[in-house]
Amino acid sequence: MYEVEILTGNETAAYAAMNSNVRVVAAYPITPATPVVETISKLVESGKMLAKFIRVESEHSAMAACIGASAAGSRAFTATSSHGLAYMHEMLHWATNARTPIVMAVANRAIGPGWNIWADLGDSLSQRDTGWMQFYCSNNQEIYDTIAMAYKLAENRKVLLPAMVCYDGFVLSHTAMPVELTEFGDFLHEYEPVWKLDAEKPFTHGNILPPEEFAELRHNVQKSHDRALKLMHKVEEEFYELYGRRTPLILEEYKVEDAEKVIVTMGAIGSEAKVAVDSLREKRVKAGLVRLRCFRPFPEKQLKELLEDKKIYVFDRAISPGSGGPLYQELKAALASTPIKRITPRIVGIGGIDVTKRTFERALFERKIWIKEVIS
Amino acid sequence: MLISIRFHGRGGQGAVTASKLLAQTASEMGYYSQSMPFFGAERRGAPVISFTRISDEPIYEMSQVYHPNIVVVLDPVIMKVVDVFRGVKEGGWIVANTTKKPDEFVFGQEYLNIVAVDATGIAIKNDLLVAGMPVVNTPMLGALLRADIPLNIEVLEGIVARKFGKEGKKNVKAISEAYEFAEVKLIHGSGKRRYPKKQKIKVEFPISTPAEGVAGKTKLWRDFRPEINYDKCNDCLNCWLHCPESAIRLNDRVEIDYDYCKGCLVCAAVCPKKAITSEREVFADV
Repeated sequence: MYEVEILTGNETAAYAAMNSNVRVVAAYPITPATPVVETISKLVESGKMLAKFIRVESEHSAMAACIGASAAGSRAFTATSSHGLAYMHEMLHWATNARTPIVMAVANRAIGPGWNIWADLGDSLSQRDTGWMQFYCSNNQEIYDTIAMAYKLAENRKVLLPAMVCYDGFVLSHTAMPVELTEFGDFLHEYEPVWKLDAEKPFTHGNILPPEEFAELRHNVQKSHDRALKLMHKVEEEFYELYGRRTPLILEEYKVEDAEKVIVTMGAIGSEAKVAVDSLREKRVKAGLVRLRCFRPFPEKQLKELLEDKKIYVFDRAISPGSGGPLYQELKAALASTPIKRITPRIVGIGGIDVTKRTFERALFERKIWIKEVIS
Repeated sequence: MLISIRFHGRGGQGAVTASKLLAQTASEMGYYSQSMPFFGAERRGAPVISFTRISDEPIYEMSQVYHPNIVVVLDPVIMKVVDVFRGVKEGGWIVANTTKKPDEFVFGQEYLNIVAVDATGIAIKNDLLVAGMPVVNTPMLGALLRADIPLNIEVLEGIVARKFGKEGKKNVKAISEAYEFAEVKLIHGSGKRRYPKKQKIKVEFPISTPAEGVAGKTKLWRDFRPEINYDKCNDCLNCWLHCPESAIRLNDRVEIDYDYCKGCLVCAAVCPKKAITSEREVFADV
């Protein structure tokens, strides 16, 4: 048994980076992700974490420094949120095409104006096309486990992609709950890069690439995502064997088999949805839940198998204006062969609106797409 | 079993720390627990809330607590601006830092248990002060354990002794004093609960226009009260220029608007004549 501590989501992310033997952290503080960096800087200063902490002047530079560190062969980590993530956008693409397996904690928060510091998955979902793997967490233990699992997957030579581990700002980033602080030594060995920057053997990185070669590089990024999806079960199993915890990487299903109405969602509200399913079942509504963990790569096949004959309610804590909820759009595409009336969109929790079990209960029986109030 | 607790306090009093310490105590005793603070534009003195859940089963709720079993009020001033009784379950518990007696509490539930304790007095007596402000979170946890909650005071004291280092001893003493001196009584209420009407929101453009007191009368955030000594004041307007709240008015002379002054004391710091002094602010109890 490992130590169980009462930790916030942000503290958890910092400890996960330490126990994943991260060697370089470059970061710039932003609410609500700041305590991740704060905790890491304390761990580095006290000598508990053997990493180089680089203070930079912006998030753009933070990611650039992480790319440099990773290209030089180090396991790199950073954390950000909202406007900070938006500011990193260019470098996010860079990290993908450079094939640097960086892991980043993202405390999900709305993007202004109006100024709003609260939970909203719109910041990371608007980075969905950057080529990063994206995992969404529902509790702090999941944040802890996912960071280590993300490194395992990202550094696999069949993958070599960066990964975001996302969790709702404040709802998880500042909420403390028990976390088992496993040491990952047996699960994660030191990072061994395929190539690394080396002054003795100089080469250019990020050189000009003509059309056909660029297309090949992009195709390989796509193929790596496909391979990552196939490797996830193996990583889950290996983790379970070592630590006895089942932490799903693709999705978690809850009472889906005999369900008629299935809630599909992700993030912290996916945990609250579990409470809603139990409550609905007490009222004789055959409800179920699919909590998506991995948005990129998008597990189309797995979702299709689970949901083909169900009545689906997709709860998005984000909006792609002019289109709709991002998860709804993706799922609709994945289930294109299914009658569209079986898939119903719901927009909840925007800008930190508290999502309660009653939000889900009501949304299943009302026709409104948007729920813009707290249903307490 | 799921016990939910709501803490009301002001920034700096340690409401968030209290809810986390409570979750730690529960965890150490084998319960599942969660501590969820609500954050806004916090600052020392501003009203804050935090929630703790304790259960013998895993906790999946990730929403705020709307129907608490127990409410802890760390500061008497809070009751002037926040309805601390809101949503509390019938027969629930109010644990209040107050110099009043349990009989003096008025609420809309049929019955509530009131735990009254002068935590500020206990904090001052035990020298629990940060920047001159009494920190009441540990004694309030001592009083909280008089409510219907299956936690052991020795476990709490053990955690506080361990986490607070050399400050541990006096905090532990404050906890046991508050536990001992708290007055507990079942009180009859009016039975008429009031629910505030929901307002219709309309936002098209993210603009705001200058308005007085959109955050209410923020004087209640104040721990220190600046006073201008007009014998020394030379009307240089430095204080007026630097006041972050525009709470210094220009009439015939500079005047502090005590309804909105939050007591940051920037004015005192920038005054070249040292004409602004500060006094500890004491608002009348509710």
